[in-house]
Amino acid sequence: MSAAEETLKASEVAKPNSVPILNRVLDFLSSVRVGVVLLCVMVVLAMIGMLIMQQNVVGFESYYAGLTPAEKVVFGYLGFFDIYHSWYFNALLLILSLNIVLASIDHFPSAWEYIARPKISATRDWLLGRNQHTVISVYAESEREAAEQIKSAFVANGLKSQVNEHSYTYYEEDPDGRKDFSKILSRSNLYVFGESGKWNRMGAYIVHVALPTLFLGHFVALQTGFDATVRMIPGETTSTIEKLDFDLDKKLEFNVQLPFTIDCTDIQQKLIDEKGGIDVTNTLDWRTHIKINDPQYGVTEADVSLNNPFTYRGYRFFQAQTIPMGSARTITLDLTPENGGAPAKIEIPRNGSTTLADGTTVKFDQFLPDFTLNAQGKPDTRSGDYNNPAAVLSVISPGGEATRVFAFAANISDKIPVGAPKAGYKWRLSSFEKAPLAHVLSIKYDPFNAAFIAWYFGGFGLIGALIFVFFISHKRAWAMIEKTSENTFEVTLAGEANRNHMGFEDKFKAIVTAVTSYERG
Amino acid sequence: MKEVDRIQRRATFRSYLPAILVFAGAFLMLGLRLQIGAGFISDGAFMMLALACYILGALFQLTNLYAPSEMAQKIGLWSAALGVFFNLSSWLVRWVGAYDLEISKMRESGNMASPWIFRYVPFANLYDLSLAFAFGAGIATLLFAHRKNFQVLAAFTLPLAALILTLARFIGNEFIDLPPVLDSYWRPIHVGVASLSYGIALVCFAVAVIYLLKDKVKVEAMAIWSSIFSVAVIATISKFSVFTEFVYRAGLFVPGGEGKKPFNAPFRLDIPYAGVALAITGVLLVGVVVAFCIYIYKNNEAAGKVGRGLLKVAFTAQIISLAVVIGGIKTTQNIYPTLQQQLAANPGQYLTAGMAIADKQQLSAKEYAAITPMQFEQIAKQYLQSAGDKMFLSLNANPVEIAALITALVGTLFVLIFGFKTEQLRERLPSLESLDSLMYKTACLAFAGLAMLLITGAIWANESWGRPWGFDSKETGALIAWLTYAAFLHTRISRGWKGRSSAYFAVIGFLLVIFTYLGVSYLLPGLHSYA
Repeated sequence: MSAAEETLKASEVAKPNSVPILNRVLDFLSSVRVGVVLLCVMVVLAMIGMLIMQQNVVGFESYYAGLTPAEKVVFGYLGFFDIYHSWYFNALLLILSLNIVLASIDHFPSAWEYIARPKISATRDWLLGRNQHTVISVYAESEREAAEQIKSAFVANGLKSQVNEHSYTYYEEDPDGRKDFSKILSRSNLYVFGESGKWNRMGAYIVHVALPTLFLGHFVALQTGFDATVRMIPGETTSTIEKLDFDLDKKLEFNVQLPFTIDCTDIQQKLIDEKGGIDVTNTLDWRTHIKINDPQYGVTEADVSLNNPFTYRGYRFFQAQTIPMGSARTITLDLTPENGGAPAKIEIPRNGSTTLADGTTVKFDQFLPDFTLNAQGKPDTRSGDYNNPAAVLSVISPGGEATRVFAFAANISDKIPVGAPKAGYKWRLSSFEKAPLAHVLSIKYDPFNAAFIAWYFGGFGLIGALIFVFFISHKRAWAMIEKTSENTFEVTLAGEANRNHMGFEDKFKAIVTAVTSYERG
Repeated sequence: MKEVDRIQRRATFRSYLPAILVFAGAFLMLGLRLQIGAGFISDGAFMMLALACYILGALFQLTNLYAPSEMAQKIGLWSAALGVFFNLSSWLVRWVGAYDLEISKMRESGNMASPWIFRYVPFANLYDLSLAFAFGAGIATLLFAHRKNFQVLAAFTLPLAALILTLARFIGNEFIDLPPVLDSYWRPIHVGVASLSYGIALVCFAVAVIYLLKDKVKVEAMAIWSSIFSVAVIATISKFSVFTEFVYRAGLFVPGGEGKKPFNAPFRLDIPYAGVALAITGVLLVGVVVAFCIYIYKNNEAAGKVGRGLLKVAFTAQIISLAVVIGGIKTTQNIYPTLQQQLAANPGQYLTAGMAIADKQQLSAKEYAAITPMQFEQIAKQYLQSAGDKMFLSLNANPVEIAALITALVGTLFVLIFGFKTEQLRERLPSLESLDSLMYKTACLAFAGLAMLLITGAIWANESWGRPWGFDSKETGALIAWLTYAAFLHTRISRGWKGRSSAYFAVIGFLLVIFTYLGVSYLLPGLHSYA
């Protein structure tokens, strides 16, 4: 090949090294822009979930019944009725978590520079480029003395300060400002550098650790745990709880066997107006006393009330609701002996009994809030309201004869069979402590305490980190000292903060005032 | 240097003096209430005084913008401070009132229990939250107004705070029976954080509006958005009947028993002429939107002139239609026979009323689907027979609708104000840089506040309901608002979005906050519905 041909032959253009696909993917996933897009997508999906009723919300059944067949099919297929548990929502959370972690790793080195290698000196041009800057004259015996005065002013304004000498090279400039690159000069200046709140630079990373902790903990809790309920009636024992699942408008309940049994020993409802009903508007609190019998760990007793849950072996018991059927926690009976004699007053707890002075045993079997005789002529209750309360008792005479007795709150005539004296006494229900028939406890099974870790560590960590990020800022100030004449130094002062610029503007003015007032002093 | 420090500290103290006096004065009022008892000024009276002071403060600050005067600025600032003082006093006095009411009820029945005082913290319903929200906005305004150039903020934030208090007035300040699940130390923390965050978000929104104004966004563009909002309000109130039937139907109340708050009846009463007036207003506002769109996109001056004329007419129409609605609600007598006549002429309401009654009975899907339209109507007729003669009209029956109409009116008013001597107004506003900086600062605080709101809510939910997060409507609404502010802050980092783009984000963020505060409670079911 001739030289001309070699020259003319197009030189092989060096192909740029193609970026490996993994790097490109990581760059993409760690991009803040992608994070913002993911946030916007999450907003849209969350709005859909808000506007289209979710299947676990009360009232879903009638909402679903009101939809057109097309809406049911389309929304159902797209998973809109349970959007927050859909595969794409979980995938979005996963990618967002990944983005947060990768973006943090990507940006961390530059943030760490502020802490490990702070910028303690800078050129005059750089200093004059800061938003807060000024050039002042300082009078001092020496450069060092001027530096110490400036350092004191920085310290007085809350900046941790240091004095450094720094050399730098520069090019000589002609009168027109053009640089002569052949003339390299060197200069050494004293710098005072002050800063505060440098760890604020790490705040965003603490936030970005707290967030995935929260997501992960919540995710683990969802995957490994479940929700259930259990009905608690005093005197009853159970070892199964009802797990709930939703499938569109169907509520599915499954029994789950516990590794222990739960005895309900007492339920109580604290009322505002003790003469009022047991509806929620008249309630201060509900309390359920339980006794857990565990073959492995023995007996444990606990009180569960509103905003006061009880945790046992990963099962968290919450006071959820009541069965609003009126009952009584304790009853007080007035007994008037049939054959004369002093009347007696006795108090019996639910499912409890007492023995009278004459050896008669009185057992409190049942409470009927609105006594009536049903179609079969059997005692029953018309409603759950205390319209005609009656206590159903089993009375065993000293001779062993058992009698069923009804004690009414209202005055019932002796001539009516249910009101007639029995077992030697006239029975009257003088008062009773109102309580519902049963309580319902909701149960959250969380074997790894993931929810606790997520929300207490992740949550409080997030709050602490956000306070740290937004209420503290990284403030920096520089002073470059140049001697202009005997005992006179030109000081280029500059400062900046990464947040609260208006507040820092005031601080910078205070620093300048402090430096100049030293000068005057 | 010590003298310099002392001067600086004195200046700082003086600039924060209004905020300091607010707290001192309000706690003095609390002390007086505890001393004097129920005969002291009621919380409702304090609230109305706060409303008046907020309006006065806004008026003087606005006046100062057009006719600068030291006097107007001072009166504006101190009126704002007085408003915040009355606002906080109302809230504190309400706390004592709630305690006294329940304790007297308990003692009357012989219950000698003494629940802790935090049970009665006024954070139980939307009225309480509104009071605290307005206070949050007011105190945030006062704190930011310690810088003289930001005292102008009050001209924009106080009208919004006044609107919140107006809504509160329509919700009604009756004490509710506290749902037992709300009796927790988390309530003052969670709801307190909510009110302060919402207040800061309001200030952020106001700063964004000022920024857009200063950045020479056309007033006509603002008029377009304000008119779209007003048209949306008119279209959606009264269950969409204004544009579909040219009728406005006001909600009815049924008494709830002695000392109890009345509840909404499933029927609504047609207010004469209100529907037509609102429809005409809506059409005029649509005209404004069309005219200004042509003006902006086609540079058509004639269209601009028509738009400005239509805007003034629409504003007048808004005042008239609001007056007709409020006047009609206040003066209509003989509700039951009037309702019967209207239902005879238009029996469609029976079906919707019957469905609403059946909805409240929490029937299964099968049971609900089994009810025929005639059965729904029968249910409604039975209800009407039993409760019809007790029904009454009240502004409190439609708090959100009335407040939305007033908000739409105020929006139009502000657009008209902005259109008056716009250049002079722009000159008096702070610099773009300082506004952008303040917008960023308030967005950061709102973001941090909303995060605290979400976390404290989740932790409380974990203690109460057994699950920290269930995507309940209010939880999701707050999350959406928080995510929007997160996107706002991150776009500043990644794309350097400052200024106008940030302002738009701030506006959207605040609208989402309002949706969480109000829309969720009234439009969507969920565990937070009592709020």
